[in-house]
Amino acid sequence: MPGILNYTNMIRIENVSKDLGEFKLNDATLQIDEGEYFIILGPTGAGKTILIETIAGIYRPDSGRVFLDKTDVTNVLPKDRQISMVYQDYMLFPHLTVEGNIGFGLRQKKVDKSEIKAKTNEITDLLGISHLLGRYPGTLSGGEKQRIAIARAVVTEPKVLLLDEPLSALDSRTTERLSAELARIHKLMGTTTIHVTHSFEEAFALGDRIAVMCGGRIIQVGTPDEVFRRPNSKFIADFVGVANLFRGRSVVHDDISEVRIDGISVVSSTVASGDVSVSIRPEDILISKREIDSSARNSFSGEITEVKDMGGIVRTVVDVGLPFVVALTKRSYEDLRLAPGTRVCIAFKASGVHIF
Amino acid sequence: MLIKESTLKIVTISVTLLLAIFILSLLSGIVTHTSLQSLLASIASKEIRFAIKLSLITSVISTLMCIAVAIPAAYALARYDFFGKTLIQTIVDLPLALPPIVAGVGLLLIFGTTSFGAWLSSSGLKFVFTPYGIIIAQFTVNISFMLLIMRSTFEGISPRYEYVAQTLGCNPVQAFLQTTLPMSKNGLIAGGIITWCKGIGEFGAALMLAGAIRMRTETLPISLYLNMSCGDLDLAMAAATIMIIISVVSLYIFELYARHTQLY
Repeated sequence: MPGILNYTNMIRIENVSKDLGEFKLNDATLQIDEGEYFIILGPTGAGKTILIETIAGIYRPDSGRVFLDKTDVTNVLPKDRQISMVYQDYMLFPHLTVEGNIGFGLRQKKVDKSEIKAKTNEITDLLGISHLLGRYPGTLSGGEKQRIAIARAVVTEPKVLLLDEPLSALDSRTTERLSAELARIHKLMGTTTIHVTHSFEEAFALGDRIAVMCGGRIIQVGTPDEVFRRPNSKFIADFVGVANLFRGRSVVHDDISEVRIDGISVVSSTVASGDVSVSIRPEDILISKREIDSSARNSFSGEITEVKDMGGIVRTVVDVGLPFVVALTKRSYEDLRLAPGTRVCIAFKASGVHIF
Repeated sequence: MLIKESTLKIVTISVTLLLAIFILSLLSGIVTHTSLQSLLASIASKEIRFAIKLSLITSVISTLMCIAVAIPAAYALARYDFFGKTLIQTIVDLPLALPPIVAGVGLLLIFGTTSFGAWLSSSGLKFVFTPYGIIIAQFTVNISFMLLIMRSTFEGISPRYEYVAQTLGCNPVQAFLQTTLPMSKNGLIAGGIITWCKGIGEFGAALMLAGAIRMRTETLPISLYLNMSCGDLDLAMAAATIMIIISVVSLYIFELYARHTQLY
């Protein structure tokens, strides 16, 4: 019945509340489309995990309803929901081998042994963990455990995949690699994915859409651009730091990356090619009324479109084709005699451009 | 000034050493009281063989009963919040501190003087002065101990293992049986061994409820008591020696598993 219900909805939660004492969820309403990579972003204790555990059916909401693929599943047991979950600390069953862990869900569904074997091999090949099948989880590294937890979750071909802080227990190198891996798996399998994180870089790099949570409430939902450029509350502005976040395409030559973002080109000393996300801290950008003569590789001119007094610091937005947020002290803002509409030059070093 | 062994180290180690010597001399006093030959002859006697058999049967059954009750009760206390939980927890821990002989008096009153006891007795379950009484006495004294070990074992295992199992197709019971329970294996073995060992040695409560009847409710500790009373030292020492062997072996197995208990 398309037209009556939005037929692309995979998950819909309506006014869901759940009080667990320590953590709570307050009147959450959300719609997630089929095939979407959806991010739930918020600080520790915001109620992110309880939200996805409620979607999985671990808890029954105190009030409100949960729909999966147009069916009301509010009172359905987790086992009948076809929603898989990966926790931050993986929760691999320590008494089973890697193979036993990955096949766990299929065994519950009484799938044929040979088929379990075939599916296990397929997913482990895809994730590059075939050599670990006979090992026990206790002997594996964080990145390996993470891949096995993901394999165990997706091998049952769930309708929805829930990821609870999947990258935060790993070192930064592994995080970058696995972040790309998650994007690849999602592209390949197309499973509707809900990814919980407190890292806005992760959210920006991976999310089709983002919901920001705070104090058990969902306070903004939108595309990464909407949420980061137009935060609807001071909390979000502070939380995401109003950093300069962009997506672009990077080409590497002579050990530097040149990233094309909406027609302008930014140079970075981080080497990475392809589709990337870029961030530049507002305090790393120099601003001047005249041409800036410095060693900085990136230099643009534009017009101040917005000025915000944050106490000792003034945040200005300079439109150079892209809106750059520039932070400067109140003293220098006054000395430079800047105001909305002023033509200025901005510059920043290639080393200040972070690619992720 | 030269570095010397500290006084603290010397004093504390000496105290420990003296304690070990004290315990060892008790045990060797019993084991060496009679000649090996008469010890073996006593162990082979009809009475001691009866006591060994009765002790083994009652202690194994009471240990299985403790496990069967402790697993669900420990799970409830470890995982759920419910009305009156603190009070209930205190009550079920009480037998840990209660003298066994007092528990035995209570059991004797329940089974010997109430209409509930009379009803059980008329339906064939006689606990007073029977081997059934020994089993129920061992169960009563040891259940809290098993419960304590299982509760701390379950508390050490994150409930999220069960959550994951549930999302992968288990109902809550299957999830428990396939994750938390097998992961509790070491706690279960360690708790079971020590409960069994304590069951073998149970005296006070069993004496009150089942009495000390030769060749009827005569477990190893009861046999020791009876034979000491009537001066048959050979038989008494045989019973004591067997109990020493059982404790040493049990303690070894307990240590083996308790030390390898991982927390997940």
